[in-house]
Amino acid sequence: MRSKLTRMLTPLLVLCVSFAFAQKTVSGNVTDSSGIPLPGVAVVVVGTSTGTQTDFDGNYSITVNVGQVLRFSYLGQKTVNRTISASTSTMNIQMEDDAEQLSEVVVQGYRTAPKTKSAIAQVTISADESIKNRPNASVVQTLAGQVAGLNITTTSGQPGANSQVQLRGVNSINGNTEPLFIIDGAPVDEDNFRSLNPQDIQSISVLKDAGATAIYGNRGANGVIVIKTRTGNFDQALQINYTGIAGFSALPGNDYDLMNSQEQLSIEKLLNTGRGAGLSDAEILAAPTFDWVDFFIRDGLTQNHTMTFSSGSAKATQFTSIGFFDQQGVLVDSDLKRFNFRNNVTGKSEDERFNYGTNLTINYSVSNSPNSVGTGAINRNYLLGANQSVTYITPDDYPGSELLAQNWTFADTPLLLLDYLNTFDNREEEVRIVASANASYEVAKNLRANVVGSMDYISEFVTTLEAPENWNDFFFGAAYNGRQTQQSNRVFTYNQVTSLTYDNQWGKHSLNVGAYTEYFKAHLRNFGFRQNGLDPRTFAAGDDAGWIVDNSENDFFVPQPNATKRDAGLFSYFGQADYDFDEKYGLVGTVRRDASYRFAESNRYGTFWSVAGRWNISNESFMDGSVFNVLKLRASIGTAGNQRITGTSVFSAPDLTRSLFGTGPGYRGQNALFLTQIPNTTLRWETVKQTNIGVDFEVFDSRLRGSVDVYEKETTDLFQSTPVSAINAVTTLNANTGSLFNRGVDFNLNYDVIRNKDMKFTLNFVGNYNETELQDIPNDEGEIIGIGRNGGILDEYFRVRYVGVNPANGNLLFLDADGNVTENPNLDTDAVWTGKNPYPDWLGSFGFNFDWKGFYVQTQFNYALGIDNLDFDYYGRVNPNTIGQFRTSRDLLNAWTPNNRVTSVPSLTAANLNAAGQAGVSSDRFLLSADYVRLRFLAIGYNFPQKFLEGTGIKKLGIFFNGENVLTITKWRGFDVEGLTSQQNEYPTPRILSLGFEIGI
Amino acid sequence: MKIRKIYYALLSLVLAVGCEDAIDIDQPGRLDADAAFETVEDLNLGLRGVYDNMDLTPEILWNGIFTDELAIGIENGGQRVAEYGLVINPTSAITNDFWTRNYDLLNAANRLIEASELIEAEDASEQTTKNIILGQTYFLRAWGHFELLSYYSTDYADDSALAAILVDFVPTIDQLLLRSTNADFYNLINADLDRAESLLSNDTTDPTTINKDAIDAFRARIAAYRQDYATAATLSAELLAKYPIATRAQYQGIFQDVDNTEVIFKLERTIGDNYDAQGTGATAGGHAGGIYSFANATITGGPYLEVGRSLFNALDPFDVRYDVLVAADSEIDPDYETNQNPNLDILVVYKYPGSEGIGNMNDLKVFRSAEMLLILAEARVAQGNLNGATNSAAALIKQLRDARFGSPTDLPTYANQTEAYGAILDERRLELAFEGHRWKDLKRMGIRGNRQVVRDAIDCAVVNECSLSPDDFRFTFPIPQIEFNANPELRTQQNPGY
Repeated sequence: MRSKLTRMLTPLLVLCVSFAFAQKTVSGNVTDSSGIPLPGVAVVVVGTSTGTQTDFDGNYSITVNVGQVLRFSYLGQKTVNRTISASTSTMNIQMEDDAEQLSEVVVQGYRTAPKTKSAIAQVTISADESIKNRPNASVVQTLAGQVAGLNITTTSGQPGANSQVQLRGVNSINGNTEPLFIIDGAPVDEDNFRSLNPQDIQSISVLKDAGATAIYGNRGANGVIVIKTRTGNFDQALQINYTGIAGFSALPGNDYDLMNSQEQLSIEKLLNTGRGAGLSDAEILAAPTFDWVDFFIRDGLTQNHTMTFSSGSAKATQFTSIGFFDQQGVLVDSDLKRFNFRNNVTGKSEDERFNYGTNLTINYSVSNSPNSVGTGAINRNYLLGANQSVTYITPDDYPGSELLAQNWTFADTPLLLLDYLNTFDNREEEVRIVASANASYEVAKNLRANVVGSMDYISEFVTTLEAPENWNDFFFGAAYNGRQTQQSNRVFTYNQVTSLTYDNQWGKHSLNVGAYTEYFKAHLRNFGFRQNGLDPRTFAAGDDAGWIVDNSENDFFVPQPNATKRDAGLFSYFGQADYDFDEKYGLVGTVRRDASYRFAESNRYGTFWSVAGRWNISNESFMDGSVFNVLKLRASIGTAGNQRITGTSVFSAPDLTRSLFGTGPGYRGQNALFLTQIPNTTLRWETVKQTNIGVDFEVFDSRLRGSVDVYEKETTDLFQSTPVSAINAVTTLNANTGSLFNRGVDFNLNYDVIRNKDMKFTLNFVGNYNETELQDIPNDEGEIIGIGRNGGILDEYFRVRYVGVNPANGNLLFLDADGNVTENPNLDTDAVWTGKNPYPDWLGSFGFNFDWKGFYVQTQFNYALGIDNLDFDYYGRVNPNTIGQFRTSRDLLNAWTPNNRVTSVPSLTAANLNAAGQAGVSSDRFLLSADYVRLRFLAIGYNFPQKFLEGTGIKKLGIFFNGENVLTITKWRGFDVEGLTSQQNEYPTPRILSLGFEIGI
Repeated sequence: MKIRKIYYALLSLVLAVGCEDAIDIDQPGRLDADAAFETVEDLNLGLRGVYDNMDLTPEILWNGIFTDELAIGIENGGQRVAEYGLVINPTSAITNDFWTRNYDLLNAANRLIEASELIEAEDASEQTTKNIILGQTYFLRAWGHFELLSYYSTDYADDSALAAILVDFVPTIDQLLLRSTNADFYNLINADLDRAESLLSNDTTDPTTINKDAIDAFRARIAAYRQDYATAATLSAELLAKYPIATRAQYQGIFQDVDNTEVIFKLERTIGDNYDAQGTGATAGGHAGGIYSFANATITGGPYLEVGRSLFNALDPFDVRYDVLVAADSEIDPDYETNQNPNLDILVVYKYPGSEGIGNMNDLKVFRSAEMLLILAEARVAQGNLNGATNSAAALIKQLRDARFGSPTDLPTYANQTEAYGAILDERRLELAFEGHRWKDLKRMGIRGNRQVVRDAIDCAVVNECSLSPDDFRFTFPIPQIEFNANPELRTQQNPGY
């Protein structure tokens, strides 16, 4: 069996000073067996350290002495040696596939294996394919649509905002539903990627089935995403790369079709409300129209610079990366700036029995981020100001904070927000260090001892300032006179995996056995204060110069401190055995015992397991000569646990098994003692049992490649709120009860339509179909509003059905439970299960990659079908109650009147306007389809062929244009169809267009 | 070899580090239930926690919004419009709130009573302290039960009507109980109040703490609701003698929290307590004045609910209650009926003008002697003493109105009981406005007094709901959906109309 190192062989980049005589230049082109140019083929002069590699078009050029031997090597191809004669000046090579050599190495969890020997469902995306150079601040956003079954939704356009990640459906109701993220062996916070530089990433592997995730035990239930960052190569001369990207972001449009001032004032006049109530027609005609979107929304600029240095000697490699990223959000006062540093080092001892590596990244980011986004706070949410402000009020109407506080109405919302913009500041600084070190020693033949230790440190510092003499203070009582808060949040996690692995091969058999322990500890330390009262002469964010001191009259100016301390920990031991026969049959088994601090007093240890098998059908002799180049059948079954049964943090719900009292203010604010927690003494893991059957195939000379996986996941012991009678002082108590099924299909297809020396055109299609089913709902009726019903889908909407407008009187019409039309539905008894939920049935992407002599176009269309969401924003735009205060949709111009009886818009004064339908959440009137097809990513670029660069000293030069969210086709009328939950004046994710270039020397 | 040794050393170190420190983690600040109550002082701390569950703001909101006390205000952005539209159903936030909040109170009280049984007082003085703690706790338990009865029983005077779930113990989470009758509720409430009276000391006079007079006032109110007018008359007369009706100046002071003349019991609200918050929530909590305005009780304080026009029309500007109910800087449109423009007619609620320098924050008056006077008047009507200069309903009404006007008013005369009950309802409407009585008063006396919810046309145009008859089913709350989730059997006991 080949050593791991050989298996991991990647195209070598070797370039050294050459010192020879009788030199000549040999150039040529390297292709694979079907004539496709092979980029990155290592071309080395045997016996020297001189070498180069082929460019994007398979061309190379090297200086060599007559009589020397050139060696061409490439992963998965047989190595070719050619002696140079005096007459050789062009040498074209057609390489042959190497059946023995392994085409690809894939991540298996704590180890890697050749793809042919992999029995698990996993997808690996290399950075070069579709990760690098994209203008998203967070790499997680970039993953959307690229992996079958991976659902990524980003509800905020704040640069670097967290995304929700779910793999193959939602596996928990109250617990964590996001996969475990591991960067270079370090488990990291899955909600925070804003400080990390996506340009450092080499590849991302998504592990899906039980065979892959069982080894992660109680953290693997939602799948695992393994991120590997770039490293240098052994025997590689220093290579320097610079990538620069400039871009701009713009707000996507919406289809709410809002009124202009004349329309708005006229409808106000009609309803005798707001400013329009007292105006003459001439005054209405003369009113200005100022679109507040232009005030609160801007085009944001992005710049992104990354410089990398990589090199390697015989026994050591290094990779260093320095990055600077600066992105303005499209919303005023929102941005992200960050500095990144990374250093990855590997090395090995002279006898190669000892290997080690370290990965270190230190990052600093500063982000301005408005708060109260997504709320209805008219004095704090800028988005509300942009979307809902009446247009007849202009910034010129702003009279200053104090006068505005004395005389304002809801219609003055934009002025309140203008004031807030002038006086409010929220700045988040973050230092993030992710470091890991690994070492491995061959203690005996075939036996290695390994250790990987890693830490993730996040130190966030939030400074919030409300300057004195702002509108809020004048309005709510000027005595407080501004305020300032500072909050320091630190989280340190340490993880260590120690193992002993045995690897052997005899005859047609090979065996890999490992015994592991894993130790995890996390520490949270928060501290902060709030100072009320700032002197307008001397205040400054982050400084105490302007603090008004406490006096004897009142306690307004006493600073209020806060502090939190939490610890969390896990411990596990586990084993895995992987057996292969003749690269035809394989079997992998895993058993793992886990302990979590959460269950220390109830169920300390949980046991998880998996079995996975494969049959490489295409390696059977009877398959010789078939169209299948690869045909592999995989099957796995197993369990994984979710110990984060509540909340999104590893620190939440640390001791639910205990009955607790707390102290704090009671009557009159005096210290008091009260019950804070009713215990659950039977607490345990949620367990996800997953069955997966999959096929990997390549046919027609590997022109069509793909895989199909069918899975079923069953979450048992769901930790969910179980209703209890209110006499217990709570109405729900969380308990491990009920089951949730996710069943679906993942598929991944690539087809090379054109594949020749100059041109390559590939179509790709990624898809997932997933359906959920609830069972064993913990109450007598088998249904819980807000969660669903037995046999139904998760989070199914339970709504009174809205059917339209009564032509007789303009009232809203609903259906009662029996399907009879009614104007006065009973919310309790007339609501029905709608069969709709906010999760997609179909999700994925399609697109093409086109290459032609260095010129390339890449598209990625994401799609999602079967999502239904409540459009609260639309509800607000057509709610007649808001006329006079906010801007409304032109849809209201079509409202029912005695002369306009056949319409879908109820009368502006409908008698049952405030009944079920108007409440928005209560009927299905605003429950709308959020299906979409979106050109999520478009890349157009050109890589200069090697021949143009000869003699310039430049090894690599490319320019590219990238677009994110370029085009969206949807019936959804709001800004951003991709929001996970129902939204109200949320920060939409922008369209980003960028231009960049990459240069390597 | 060297590397190997280092490696073994590291490996053994790692294996030696046990798992215990990762698993057995004690978070800071945890107090186990067993250790919570060990001394009488602990019980006192517990009592403050029980007290904190008592809140009148949901009642103040509900009795205003669902009747004719309030109107939708100039700065309204949709707040309470549904409730103003007389919409209530089992998923309404308000019934959720009344149900859960009062059971929270009962649970906390029962836990404290249970814990007290294991704590022995060390001496006589500590025994007294313990008794006073327990006495207040029993009062609070009676309060919780009476609140539930008031909002969920169809008829206060019908002993066989269903009230709510009776809980005088610490329940276990699997217990699913059905409703008890009013009779069972009244029995427990009376027993708890008797216990409270025997435990409380005589010298407690602090109106912000439960005292013996508060027990009598509570009994008087219960008796009036139950139409046990003999008891109501005795108790209210005693208290009226002890707590005289305030002068005009004192009256204004009462609502600024600088005077306690009429106050038998009130809940104190102060800076830094759990209710020191803006309080625009749909149901409970926060500053009482936050029910009406964003910032304070002035025209620029963001009034989103205003004084109902029909209530305003019933107020005489010479009545001190006009000054207490309506802010001085209100904009009054004398021609509102012709103009029909709510923007010109802004009637700002002033009953909670703020205290301690905080707008909208005021103590919540639970029992005032004016209520005792009106209970006594009600009893006089029931007993047939309608008219006459002494010992009559008319005399009591005159006594109250004289004090509020600061000068003698005419002695009213009532043709019959209906007219007299109607007059008492009208007087209660002015006297107890925004204190959480109107809806309950119409429910129990509306038929007897021939009164109902009547809103002015300018107010009710927004929601097209201008009146509500006291026999409407919406004068009883529905049992909330949230209880059915756990306790579906209870659905069979849902109140009529829902």
